[in-house]
Amino acid sequence: MEMDKKLRHYNDIRRVVMVVDDEPINQEMLGFILKKDYEVVLASNGEEALEKIRSRKRTLSMILLDLNMPVMDGYRLLEILREDEELKYIPVIVLTAEDGAEVRCLELGAVDFIKKPYNVPSVILARVRRAIELSEDNRIIQDAEQDELTGLYNRVFFFEYASQMDPFQEKGETDAIVINIDHFHLVNELYGRIYGDQVLQAIADGIREFMDENRGIACRCDGDMFYIYCPHQKEPAAILDVIRRHLEKLPDDSRIRLRMGVYAKAAPDELMERRFERAKLACSTVRGKYIEPVACYDVSMSETEVLSERLVNDLKRGLDEKQFKVWFQPKYAIQGEQPQLSSAEALIRWDHPEFGMISPSVFIPLFENNGLVQKLDHYVWAEAGRWIASWKSKYGFTVPVSVNISRVDMYDPRLKEKILTILEENHLTPEDYLLEITESAYSDDLEQLIHIVEELRVLGFMIEMDDFGAGYSTLNMLTVLPVDVLKLDMQFVKNATSDRKNYRLVELMKDIARFLEVPIVAEGVETKEQCEILQKIGFDLVQGYYFSPPLPPEEFEKLIKKEVDRKGAEIC
Amino acid sequence: MLTIEALREYGANVDEGLARCFNNADFYLKLVGMLGNEKGFDKLEEALEKNDLDAAFEAAHALKGVLGNLSLTPAYTQVSEITELLRSRTNMDYSERLAGIMEQQKILKELLN
Repeated sequence: MEMDKKLRHYNDIRRVVMVVDDEPINQEMLGFILKKDYEVVLASNGEEALEKIRSRKRTLSMILLDLNMPVMDGYRLLEILREDEELKYIPVIVLTAEDGAEVRCLELGAVDFIKKPYNVPSVILARVRRAIELSEDNRIIQDAEQDELTGLYNRVFFFEYASQMDPFQEKGETDAIVINIDHFHLVNELYGRIYGDQVLQAIADGIREFMDENRGIACRCDGDMFYIYCPHQKEPAAILDVIRRHLEKLPDDSRIRLRMGVYAKAAPDELMERRFERAKLACSTVRGKYIEPVACYDVSMSETEVLSERLVNDLKRGLDEKQFKVWFQPKYAIQGEQPQLSSAEALIRWDHPEFGMISPSVFIPLFENNGLVQKLDHYVWAEAGRWIASWKSKYGFTVPVSVNISRVDMYDPRLKEKILTILEENHLTPEDYLLEITESAYSDDLEQLIHIVEELRVLGFMIEMDDFGAGYSTLNMLTVLPVDVLKLDMQFVKNATSDRKNYRLVELMKDIARFLEVPIVAEGVETKEQCEILQKIGFDLVQGYYFSPPLPPEEFEKLIKKEVDRKGAEIC
Repeated sequence: MLTIEALREYGANVDEGLARCFNNADFYLKLVGMLGNEKGFDKLEEALEKNDLDAAFEAAHALKGVLGNLSLTPAYTQVSEITELLRSRTNMDYSERLAGIMEQQKILKELLN
């Protein structure tokens, strides 16, 4: 049945074949045989044939070629055809009485031989037909197996071929390598699709150059993801160097950040797809890490992945069952005689029924990657609002609390509405509620961010720029940023006491705050020494374990009460 | 007039030659008739007279292909033998072998007429 189907396709078209032979009798005889099934074009030497081949390149299905001919012999014609990108796909059967010619002809691309004297017509027709079928099948496979844009394999064929070549690898030591582009969608958005395609082609060219020297196969899948399966590489990062040389030919190539995940020396019985999942996982761990863009898979990554999946799955239930706890870390004003409780930052913790208390540094990145972080943020905003309101009514005194606004929240058209609703529900004012936005969010789309932040400020909200110093703000950018408070990245505080240079850096940050005429907060303050240095430099507020860790609301309330009592005592 | 019987009598493997032409006798006879214009015999003779063994091999080789396809066995056999000698560029006196081949050409021409 299958064969019938194939034959039907074959018979749909009366194909064109060419006989090239300088002997008129041979030409006539073969032409006569072939005319039964084909349109036949005749040529008497290589030169005449080449001209006719070029004019019929789209329709010619087969060339039957004699070797010894005047003007241009069959060998030369084979050479020309092999080197021609358009003509090399036309199959050639060599007509010869020479046994010794076979190897040379095969090396030059001939697909088969017909011996002289000719066999019976049925054999000749069968051989021609089979050669055409194979050639056409091969073309179909080549077209289907390739990614049109880059010429690399597509995913399906890549896995098939990778599995096929696996048993032939020397010592069985192979690597599964995944290469990805950071924020490729932004490259497309900023520079256009054509430029994005050029980037992908340059990467593919680099991969091909690498494979020419190192063997292996590669494919492009999922848009900007490249898979390479190759013999084990001691220095896999060298592949990125080769690719970068190709990217350097493009304008603005410095913005193209590549990352790579390697699953090295896979066990031979391990599924190919699984190997690349692991390489992909390794690749995901270096997202945004420009200095170390290569990661090799290790088992802990899988364990992390399993945990990650669990946590993502447990999020909804966690929210429903209020497993998430909002804690408060106080900020103290340190320029007075005594440190005074000034405000606090609302921080989330997950009291997971199975894993216990989980740090936000574990689960926030997971939810950032899949968009769930907005749910968490909203939960924190609502909880913080509820607690501020409770303390306000209980003590008649507000300790402003800052909440984090994630990058993704900034693009939420309902952001203002959501925050205002929380204030309204809890009878709060914007002064009770500070908003922290991480510095790096500003580098995404500065103009839009400025616009949103300014709208929030008009409503009366104070905006703290979180992680200040860790992002990419230029001094020029800082002058246009709408911020009310700078919050120094905790790394600066950690290093401040290490040497003079780092100390100067912290001083410089304070100078910037002074220049912008905004207060500056230091977080991550853990020692008395750090606190004294910051005080001396002129920092207004500090936050960190030196004064207090993040506290559950009930504990934080005690600090409020203490502050209220102290103020009461001052008044008395 | 050239006939199948005459070719058979000459020693041609007519059945084989006909089979290559889908047993179309007219077409087979037409092809054999084209031997009248075949330059291979003269080329071989000329090359051997000049002792140009490369050219002689090429001519013999081409002729062998034609005679083989037509299954003209007596001529084919002789041309095949000289082709093998010329393939290895054997330095020898070819005159006797050439005479035999030219005799075959003569017989075939007579058959054609």
